[in-house]
Amino acid sequence: MTELSTANLNESIDPIVSARGLRKSFGRKEILHGLDFDIPPGRIYGLIGHNGAGKTTTLNAMLGLTNCEGTIRVLGEDPFARRAKLMENVAFISDVASLPRFLRVRELFALLTNIHPNFSQEKARSFLEGTDIRPEMKIKHLSKGMIAQLHLAVVMAIDAKLLVLDEPTLGLDITYRKRFYRRLLEDYMTEERTLLITTHQVDEIEFMLSDIMFIRDGELILHMQMETVNDKFTQVVVNDPDSQAAARAHGPVYEETRFGQTVMIFDGVDRAVLEPFGTLSTPTLSDLFVALMQRPTANPETAQ
Amino acid sequence: MKAFIALVHRELIEHRGAFLLGPLLLVAVLFGATILAFTVGRVDARFSGAMLTVAPLRIYELGFLGFGVGWSFYLMATLFFYAADGFAADKRNNAMLFWKSMPVGDFKVLLSKLTAAITLLPGTVYAVALLSGVLLYGVAYVTMLINGTGTVAALGGIGMVYVNVALAILVSFAVGLIWYLPYIALVGGLATAIGRWAIPVSLVLPTIVATLEWVTLGGLHPFTTRTWDYLGYRSTFPLIEDGYIDAWFVGTEPFNALLYTTDLLGRVDWTQVGIGVVFSLAMIYLGSEYRRRSNDN
Repeated sequence: MTELSTANLNESIDPIVSARGLRKSFGRKEILHGLDFDIPPGRIYGLIGHNGAGKTTTLNAMLGLTNCEGTIRVLGEDPFARRAKLMENVAFISDVASLPRFLRVRELFALLTNIHPNFSQEKARSFLEGTDIRPEMKIKHLSKGMIAQLHLAVVMAIDAKLLVLDEPTLGLDITYRKRFYRRLLEDYMTEERTLLITTHQVDEIEFMLSDIMFIRDGELILHMQMETVNDKFTQVVVNDPDSQAAARAHGPVYEETRFGQTVMIFDGVDRAVLEPFGTLSTPTLSDLFVALMQRPTANPETAQ
Repeated sequence: MKAFIALVHRELIEHRGAFLLGPLLLVAVLFGATILAFTVGRVDARFSGAMLTVAPLRIYELGFLGFGVGWSFYLMATLFFYAADGFAADKRNNAMLFWKSMPVGDFKVLLSKLTAAITLLPGTVYAVALLSGVLLYGVAYVTMLINGTGTVAALGGIGMVYVNVALAILVSFAVGLIWYLPYIALVGGLATAIGRWAIPVSLVLPTIVATLEWVTLGGLHPFTTRTWDYLGYRSTFPLIEDGYIDAWFVGTEPFNALLYTTDLLGRVDWTQVGIGVVFSLAMIYLGSEYRRRSNDN
């Protein structure tokens, strides 16, 4: 069920990221099974999948951290061959705890000023205003949340075209997580910038996404604009057994019982058709994730 | 170039404990012990001052040169551990992911570490060595003053001795660093892949290579092979017997840094230095390719 609606919509625009037949194996095990996708500029993408689905490998391929079969281009460059050059216009956080701990905050900023041509120390300092982080503090003495704030300030102070965040809020409490994403939206995102996020806390980023990609076992099973998701998928809460049977006839992609109520998710079925069976709503990303990510061994798969 | 210099500087920030704070602490402890020794009467200032008048300049020369030898050993040891630790340090706490998000190639990063190992890091140890010389001369001259033999003329002579010995230590450091460069690069290149295990591996490696030569090409035992002889030659500092130092030691002339430098530079096998530089760059390149391709981010 790969819907490349976004790609079709933006055929005339040069994509920020373009992958064709992207494959990656570790030993005999193939992790990515030939991914094809384009990511146009100015979008906020969520790359979502279960553990081991291939999210980080896909991101690593984009960031030039690993070599893959097939073709991948980021800003028109081969990331593995031209990583250093590419990083002038790509910023990423792959782990909140990855800042070098031996540095003080001011030393980190001074270093970045000399290393990164698109880093602005003034911007970074302004992003830290209102936090408890001080220039003289050593990074190893900061709390996990403060390191996340500092790392975000660093990447937001880089004038990049693509920002990649791989589980950027892992291990942080909900206050930090919400502040993190709000800051990102308010202070960083512009029409020229593209943001790609992976996280397991899909509900927390749903409000900001323009597009989603679901990856399962190394394959993209969904690639769609959020507007299309809202139009395409419908959730129905059905209580009456007769209605349940009638609704099942329309082929729900997922069905479960919650607190005595039967919830079904439909793909591409007209809402008017489903209206008589129960209460309609648009499934949340986490509901859709659970619906589409069920492994065949755990639940008969109807999503393909 | 600005980025490269910044990367070299970050090596000092990361390893200032070994190359700056440690040596300073050592000097502070030695200086404190010296002052304490005089204070509690363990050493008699007047007697010491009198001793210094026997052959004052020679004692100043020997004292500071002795410090120079001591600091050379300290530098060799710390550089060995730096190469094993510093070249793999970016992996610590997942920081490799941060460094890989910077617009700097892996070769440039590793080259900056090697450059730091032969410039900025020994430079700080040298600066502390100079400080230790100043303190040594300060204590010695104060004892001469207490004894009543310290004069302004003596101070001028001591100053000349200091400059000459300081220059000799600088040249010795520089020659030692370029002579042992391939060893630093070898340990660093290995450490890029295997981290601190580079320490035992680099110590065992010569024996393995010599044994392989003995097994394949024959010989009495591994320690009589060409490999072993070559490594022995390559591990020996060029300043050996029958040089300026020997002549100065048995003579009465004051120490002359210019003559020492000329003698030392004349003894350096520059072809081997060139081979060492090429080998070092090759090791750094191999290390950078491993770093670029490895998945242990």
